Amino acid sequence: MKKTLFAFLCLLAFTVSGQVVTVVETSRLLQGVEGPAYYPVLNDAGDRLLFSSGENGTLKLYDFASNVVSRVSDGFVAGNDAFFGGDGNVYFVTQERGQGNLIYRTGHAYNTASGQSRVVLEAQHGAVRPAVGTRGGALKSAARNYSSSPSIGTAVWTQGSKVFVTVDGQDRVFSPVDSWAGYLWASLSPDGQRVAFFAAEQGIVVIDLRGQVTAMLGRYEMPCWYNDHYLVAQNATDDGHQFTSSQIVLLKADGTFKAELTRPTSMTMQPTCGGGRIVYTTIDGNLTSMRINIDE
Amino acid sequence: MKKTMIIIAGILLAAVFVTSVAEDKPHVYINPGHGGHTGNDRNVVIPPFVQGDTMGFWESNSNMWKGFALMEILKKKGYKTSISRVRNTEDDDLALSTIVALSNASGADAFYSIHSNATGYGEATAINYPMGFYRGYTNQPENPKSMALLRALAPYIIDNKSTVWSQDKYAEYGDWTFQPGWGTQGYGVLRGNRVPAILDEGSFHDYYPEAYRLINHEYCWVEGWAFSLGADAYFDRLDLFDKGIISGAIRDDRLPRTDIRTMIGADKRVPVNEATVRLLDADGNELDSYKTDTVRNGIYLFKYVEPGTYTVEVSHPDYFSKSAQVEVTAQSKTYQNFDLKRQRNTPPEVVNYAPQWQEGDAPVRCNAPIVLEFNWDMDTESVEDAFSIEPPVEGTLQWEDANYRLRFTPTDAYEVSTHYTLTLNRSAKHGGGTPMEEDFVLEFTTQSRNHINELAIYPREGSTPHYKSLNAEFRTDSLIDAYNVMNYMHIFDAEGNEMAWNKRSLKYNDDGDDYGWVRFPLSKELEPGEEYKIVVDTDMSDTLGLKLAQPIEYHFTPTDVSVPLESSQLIEPFEVTTGFNSVDVESDNPATVKLTASSTALFGSKSLQLAYTFENQIEGGEMQIAAPEQEDAFSSSDGMGLYVYGDMSFNHLFAGFTPEGSADVEWVDLGEVDFVGWQFMGVDILSSTLTHTGTYHFAGLKMVKNGSKQGRKGTIRLDNLVKFKPTALEEVTLNNVFVSPNPASDYLVVAADSQVQGVELIDAKGQTVARNATNYVNVSGFAAGVYVLKVYINGIVSTHKVAVAH
Repeated sequence: MKKTLFAFLCLLAFTVSGQVVTVVETSRLLQGVEGPAYYPVLNDAGDRLLFSSGENGTLKLYDFASNVVSRVSDGFVAGNDAFFGGDGNVYFVTQERGQGNLIYRTGHAYNTASGQSRVVLEAQHGAVRPAVGTRGGALKSAARNYSSSPSIGTAVWTQGSKVFVTVDGQDRVFSPVDSWAGYLWASLSPDGQRVAFFAAEQGIVVIDLRGQVTAMLGRYEMPCWYNDHYLVAQNATDDGHQFTSSQIVLLKADGTFKAELTRPTSMTMQPTCGGGRIVYTTIDGNLTSMRINIDE
Repeated sequence: MKKTMIIIAGILLAAVFVTSVAEDKPHVYINPGHGGHTGNDRNVVIPPFVQGDTMGFWESNSNMWKGFALMEILKKKGYKTSISRVRNTEDDDLALSTIVALSNASGADAFYSIHSNATGYGEATAINYPMGFYRGYTNQPENPKSMALLRALAPYIIDNKSTVWSQDKYAEYGDWTFQPGWGTQGYGVLRGNRVPAILDEGSFHDYYPEAYRLINHEYCWVEGWAFSLGADAYFDRLDLFDKGIISGAIRDDRLPRTDIRTMIGADKRVPVNEATVRLLDADGNELDSYKTDTVRNGIYLFKYVEPGTYTVEVSHPDYFSKSAQVEVTAQSKTYQNFDLKRQRNTPPEVVNYAPQWQEGDAPVRCNAPIVLEFNWDMDTESVEDAFSIEPPVEGTLQWEDANYRLRFTPTDAYEVSTHYTLTLNRSAKHGGGTPMEEDFVLEFTTQSRNHINELAIYPREGSTPHYKSLNAEFRTDSLIDAYNVMNYMHIFDAEGNEMAWNKRSLKYNDDGDDYGWVRFPLSKELEPGEEYKIVVDTDMSDTLGLKLAQPIEYHFTPTDVSVPLESSQLIEPFEVTTGFNSVDVESDNPATVKLTASSTALFGSKSLQLAYTFENQIEGGEMQIAAPEQEDAFSSSDGMGLYVYGDMSFNHLFAGFTPEGSADVEWVDLGEVDFVGWQFMGVDILSSTLTHTGTYHFAGLKMVKNGSKQGRKGTIRLDNLVKFKPTALEEVTLNNVFVSPNPASDYLVVAADSQVQGVELIDAKGQTVARNATNYVNVSGFAAGVYVLKVYINGIVSTHKVAVAH
């Protein structure tokens, strides 16, 4: 079995435009420990992982070094949109049902040092959007906002067909490409110089901090920065009802290179990156950690 | 001043209230499924649209129109909405994960994915009902509010009365139950959707009448209205809107729909295009009007109607106008369908008919259908009552072309050479109820032939075909219609099991053949000694459609022809063609013959194939071949024979012998080639025919044509010519046992003093060809020749030499 895996990994070496990408390691995470797990999110160092136990289940935190899984919140859908702030803490949103079946959303902050969670944004009707800052985290809504500190560094988030970039406390709002349905999945490159986001009908867009488009990477989803030059994304197809394929791909941020990290039939999805590690899950909830080598 | 302050305060308070209400508007995310008219979209090709025409039915179109309607209605009702696409290009066909993420980011309170369904079986299906899904297992939703959202919607979808449902229940499933791939794959737009989310398949678009309806924007709008009512019910807002709608479908009251095949209920009648529908108030004032489209759905709609009593009036130049009073209540769907009566302003009459026959014309074929075409669609019941034929003929009446054409087809055939009179009494009415002004009468005389006749069949009654590679052949006096012919001829074993034909090797007549024929090879061997029967159904017909008058059923018993004769000696194996030559014979009916080696052999690897054609049909004419000189000689006391692969030509086959030292040829009649496949043809004692008592050499063969069409051309094969001593035919006869007649053509009957326990007939090769546990045996199916009949009496066998002659 190990031999088979090794042979498969060797096959996944790609040479295009001079780059050679080799998958050097894949390993199932929490096999036999956790059931189906979705929405994995790595911290910048790649040594901690948030995930949802089940589709709308408990938000959990996995520490690679200690191999310990901690329960962060049992709140409804807590695990679906959680993120690490630049301060290392965890920010997440839960939902409650209000009068007339309206949905009220509550913001929470989880201190990873103390293991304590607290409400930071009272329940409110309407959207609550995460904003990841280099020094903390924020939760944005129409009525009220929460910020972990007066300045959370450079932060990015999307709302409708706008991408927001906060630099030195100043919000910059960009709409560099047309998108009727809206923007999603904004993230800042590790060197803080570029922002990648997804524009419906267009695909992944890379801009600089002035809002200038530097690359259009194609119709992939859920981009995350692997390093300053590469992104990892999901490439899925469907028949209008169900996924027919899904794989993880590596994309060069300038749009000059792409490589498949998993096969289309692997049904791998929801990639996250941090500290040179890639984690993704599968359609049936198997978390996997991957390391790759890129020879320029 | 005080007043002003109060007004300003009031306005401010109202503004605060409005803001508060606005913030608490329910927010619905709308996902019109599919998009882009591409591979994962759904196109149903319905006339007049061709495949790929974006004006025809595409699921992405109707889903989008439903979504637009829902968005418009919900905004009117005070909702906030988001929608995943407002165009229909490939770029707008967003990935499933993207749709879910957009829904989640929007902060919505509910998510609707709007679709229609398909069976995938195309036009042949008559399935149409709504179906909806939530995330999880059926009745075990991941989010209970998703199931509540679906159950709030379902009643408003299923109460659609413009459509025709094949079942009146909204089908509800958890998507993990319905699509269990990878355990919980389900539907992509429900996976990870954090708000109460459902996917609705509003109807089946590959039910063709529904596809026509879904092309109509207003029909889709009504489904959007149904969604809005479902949202109102879910968010407890049903009392916050005060308008209703009136909608329905307009159809002909009787004209059957013939442009598509499969329909149910009211969809079987023609929808009325371009009907004008007017909405009138209680005083008769027109409030609104609508014209049904040209796309065969008859749908109309009046939107946002104030509660009250109204009259809906429908008119069309070809129909009588019709109106109905309707009640509209807030948040209702008032359905009013109309079945319009066509204006048929002249009496019905027959405008064309067949057969058109007059005295002196050639007679009409005995199975010719009678066709009457009318100027109006007819009332089927009154026409069928008014229809009569003298003399009476059993047959079926079939309506065509939306009841404009009636076809009578006789069940079997008319009588031959008979004069028939068809009368359609003037009581026959058109669809509007007006009768004909006078009777319609049609007369014709039939031809002298009304059935096909059997010329020959093999295996025939009592025959003993070779058990391997049986080719059953049936011949008629006219060319057989090969369509479905393998369904009309059967072979059954004694238990009634039907033997399978090798359909790929089926052969049948060509245009220009002298008679009709079909030849069916069996795909498996038969069991020697077991009884089988061959059956030909009356549906076996010729190219004009004339059928067999009666079914045919014959019994036969296969044998193993290849078992060597006892004490036989091989004289000629026919393995090569060398030395065999056709001989020119002076004749009024000369034949051409082609000699080849055939791999269809009973012994060894080859047989000698003779393909012959006589110049014409008359009786007589010879085809001869000369054999190479043979070393082995025959004595006149020998028996001889050879194995022949017959062609059922009914021509006589003769073996030629030359006396030692003479060039003259004497011919021995081996019998008729009245079989298909391998059989042994021979005589037990040459002296019964040959004139000399000395030594003979085999010199060749000849075939003499019989007088039927079947003998004009054919192909036979020859294998192993042998000589033998007729030991098998020796008699050991008991006293007081008598067999008669001898020779026999039908039955051999045994008379004895004691009870006969059974008889056994043995041919010249020593093989049992028939057994019977009584005192007789039917020999009508056996080749002419000498046989031995064993008679069993009190455990003793009495052996009698008998002859069969035909």
